[in-house]
Amino acid sequence: MVKIADLKVDQVIKDEFNGITRDLLRKYAKASGDTNPIHTNDAIAEKAGLKGIIAHGLFSYGFITKLFEDFLEHGKYGTLIETQVEMRGMVRCGDTLITEAKISKIEGNRVYFDVNQITLTNVDIKDKEGNIVKQFEAGERGYISEKDIEKGLVKTKQVDKGILTYRERIASPGSVIIELNE
Amino acid sequence: MEPEEIKKNAEFLIKNLSGKEVTGSANISIRYKKLVDFAKVYGITDPKYVGPEEEGIVACHGFANHFTIKALYKLLLGMKLTQDGKERTFILNPNKLLHAGQLYNWEGCVDVRPGDKLNVKANWGKVWLIEENLILFANFHVEVRNQDGDLVCKPVVTAAVRPGGY
Repeated sequence: MVKIADLKVDQVIKDEFNGITRDLLRKYAKASGDTNPIHTNDAIAEKAGLKGIIAHGLFSYGFITKLFEDFLEHGKYGTLIETQVEMRGMVRCGDTLITEAKISKIEGNRVYFDVNQITLTNVDIKDKEGNIVKQFEAGERGYISEKDIEKGLVKTKQVDKGILTYRERIASPGSVIIELNE
Repeated sequence: MEPEEIKKNAEFLIKNLSGKEVTGSANISIRYKKLVDFAKVYGITDPKYVGPEEEGIVACHGFANHFTIKALYKLLLGMKLTQDGKERTFILNPNKLLHAGQLYNWEGCVDVRPGDKLNVKANWGKVWLIEENLILFANFHVEVRNQDGDLVCKPVVTAAVRPGGY
């Protein structure tokens, strides 16, 4: 049960989704009515200078509303009043999309959250000698830019098969307001 | 397109769009399958959104994306203006259009249900130019009501248009 008395400023709720595929974006395009081919056709996306298809901005947004629907158990404990995001970074197939919401303020029955959607984009895995043992779509298509490197967004970490290179960046910062029943 | 022409177009749009009502409206019929297909994209399994038709379902909040896109395509992209005696659209090149931000407000709103007939109206909000990169930004305030006149959502779209697109 979600009650005002149980919530505190800085408390975080979070969701992680790693199933963004071309098939899912095609389904979203059909369901949403946003049939711009830069979201479903690599050749057209490349002609538009995008190196490959990008997810619809509102596709990612849907994970914010879903996070709060789940949190409120589909209206059982309260309602979603407002959601807002700035769309800053492209989200692509293969990305892990993390939606994180942190309570910034509680006023009466209203709870205010700062929200960040972060993407983790795997580039490749290298062995100890620096040989690529696995390359991901971002590595193949060159999604990572010099700017990403300059900004320190490209990182490495040890995984089972070697050293994983990946990019971590904020795709959409925003805010959410909910109202609880009690 | 030369920078002078881009700036002239931006000035025209800022002067003629800010705060103005968008003529016309868009109508959307809501079917059960449309709501369920949308919810399933997000892996939603709660029967409130994807249950049997005869038991009654409502749209998940994310479904607001559907009527926002309709509003964008039908009202914003289709809008005609007269500049220097010639008819033009707001967007000259849709490939230059970016979705820069989105707000949904559901305060005092009712749920969307199968069988609803939604009506979408819009107003231009603030329109402004970023001088250093000549990207034109525009807020587009949308109001969505059902067949009974009840409000179902108030989206605000922030569109960004790169130089050459407006």
